[in-house]
Amino acid sequence: MRSERAVKPGRGGDHRTALLFLAPALTVLAVVTVYPAIWLFWLSLQQRIPVFGIARFAGLEHYQFLAVDARFWNAFRVTAVFAAASVALELALGLLAALALRAQRRGRRLAISLLLLAWALPAVVTAKLFEWLYHPTAGLVNYAIGGRQLNWLGDPGLALPGLIVADVWRTMPFVALLCYARLLGVPPEIYEAAQVDGAGRLAMLTRITLPLLRRVLLIALLFRTLDALRAFDLMFVLTGGGPAGTTETLTVYAYRTLFQTLQLGFGSAISVIVFLTVMAIAWVYLRALERDEAAA
Amino acid sequence: MRLDHNSAPLRLARFAGRRAAGGLIVVALLAGALLAAACGRPPAGNGPVTLVFKHAKILGPTDPVADLLRKFEASHPGVRVKSESLPWTTDEQHQYYVVNMEGGGTPAFDVLMLDVIWVPEFARAGWLLDLTDHVPRAELAAHFRSAVEAATFRGRVWALPWIMNVGLLYYRKDLLDKYGLRPPETYEELVGQVHRIRVGERDVGLDGFLWQGKQYEGLVVNALEALWANGTSLLDGDGRLFPDPARAEEALADLRMLIATGVSPPWVTAADEELTRRAFGNGRAVFLRNWPYVLDLLQQPESPVRGRIGIAALPRHAHGIGGAGSTGGAHLGVHRQTRHPELAAALVRFLTSEEAQRTMAGGVALNPTRTALYRDPALLPSHPGFPEIYRLTLAGRPRPVTPYYLMLSATLQPELSAVIVGIKSPRDMVRQSRARVAHMLRDLK
Repeated sequence: MRSERAVKPGRGGDHRTALLFLAPALTVLAVVTVYPAIWLFWLSLQQRIPVFGIARFAGLEHYQFLAVDARFWNAFRVTAVFAAASVALELALGLLAALALRAQRRGRRLAISLLLLAWALPAVVTAKLFEWLYHPTAGLVNYAIGGRQLNWLGDPGLALPGLIVADVWRTMPFVALLCYARLLGVPPEIYEAAQVDGAGRLAMLTRITLPLLRRVLLIALLFRTLDALRAFDLMFVLTGGGPAGTTETLTVYAYRTLFQTLQLGFGSAISVIVFLTVMAIAWVYLRALERDEAAA
Repeated sequence: MRLDHNSAPLRLARFAGRRAAGGLIVVALLAGALLAAACGRPPAGNGPVTLVFKHAKILGPTDPVADLLRKFEASHPGVRVKSESLPWTTDEQHQYYVVNMEGGGTPAFDVLMLDVIWVPEFARAGWLLDLTDHVPRAELAAHFRSAVEAATFRGRVWALPWIMNVGLLYYRKDLLDKYGLRPPETYEELVGQVHRIRVGERDVGLDGFLWQGKQYEGLVVNALEALWANGTSLLDGDGRLFPDPARAEEALADLRMLIATGVSPPWVTAADEELTRRAFGNGRAVFLRNWPYVLDLLQQPESPVRGRIGIAALPRHAHGIGGAGSTGGAHLGVHRQTRHPELAAALVRFLTSEEAQRTMAGGVALNPTRTALYRDPALLPSHPGFPEIYRLTLAGRPRPVTPYYLMLSATLQPELSAVIVGIKSPRDMVRQSRARVAHMLRDLK
């Protein structure tokens, strides 16, 4: 599959025309992303608590504190575990669901609608749903595993896995639909030809289907990872970051400092770290995509 | 945390979306604030005066607030009161106020309903009108003292009490009677009674004592009550955190023990008011710590425990002289920048008057802050629990009255949670919390 490469700048005139056409988009981007990002960074160098009339330059004070802040490192670890586990599960299950969908002869529309339902629900609604599913005594989850009274949201060892399951349930359909759409674009002749050549089902999966899905999976990985790194709603509603901060992600920590206690400088420093982490990971993925494209 | 996560006006708001998450709402709020700032309000002329009253949505079969406002307008010709609702959750309400009041400018409202824990913070920020000279002393004395204390900062009064709340111990009267027991005065007694009743009932599904241990404001309230019950406090007069570490550690260790020994089920570590209220309301527990709003719900005709419950003071720990429930609730204040300070203050006085509070209590079962109403002949028939609630509210204590309360609470929540789930010792928690809070407040003292 060939990709469309960006139009190569030719003579200076073309270049200027291109810039002119790009100007509105660039201006909007500058206003809505670059300016706030710079402002955020500037704010993170201040100690600013408007309620108490505190506004002084603090330099790297907040970053120094974060370097030794146990709550910050805990949130960092929680975010990393949550992102890695939920994205891995989402990709694996999403892929399986897409393959199952393609293999299905009847009821595809119904299956797709059902998948979409989970994806279309607002995160807060999903959270409320899982609050009931995880209910210690009346919850369906505990009932389904044989009436054991597992303390899903109140046990430091279970709360994060519980949230990961909820997140996987909610966003797996996104991956499934992306993969399914790509699969629909694969001409059946390829498989027929493979069959003629005597390829087994496993060979067809690993030699044809997966390589064809590679880029779509990379894109899904990019989207899902960036989303998971900024996870907020589920933990905010279900556990409030507890118990004992075991589900407090960086964004929840940032929210608590920024909006609950209004420590604008310190909260901005946390946000800057989230921003830089997300940017770094996005950059790695985009490079991988580029290489992939170049190889294609 | 919702409006004081306890105030009755919001209790009907305890359904999905109440803690609807940040992003969008923040954006909407900011957009709203910008719009409000851009449009402003028409300049005051000789025409009719409009007061804007910002308050949490008060849901119920009737809307007593609207009626009260019409009444105020009738007695103040030429004045119109516009009532505007705040977002659902307390965090969003707090945010709304901060966004609107920070930096001065044209006020978007004149009178505001505040969670009691915000009063010192807003007063220190200079956002509230000093009401001390607008209200006679005798009028203040008619309210619960703890409510007035909570609205007093640096010797001045910044808001008037409107709605009262206090932490109570609910117990299953039928079960206690069956075993010849009286409501427990100490935690030791409570634990003994739970064991006795559970053995006697041979019911493994019957839980002992339910309380709120989720990592949120409610946990801080429960921990405060444990500290008071053991004869100590969170902050002393000089602003020292955990002034008596030994007693604090003991009280916190007791909270953990309730779970570790099975007196409280493990799931209280994720429980808020509603989760515990439902379990107790379904007859699944002997004791419950909760707010007065629960009493009405438990006495509804369809309630399985109707007529089988009682309320009492929270028990005390080994070193305490008596248990005290944490008080909470809502106050009414006036925007410092209002162009009609006299009228706004008059509206606050009217809404917190005995007559208005009687209407509120009768209409939506909100507990008044005026003590006389707890023996009001017009209210007693529909509120038989009032005399008892009055006695228990009198014994209640406010959370630390300090502008830094929110910061304090947010810092302590994960620490307290770590203690009650058993992954941090009370000793480490007390030591680390002190260091953390000292760092957070380094610029503030």
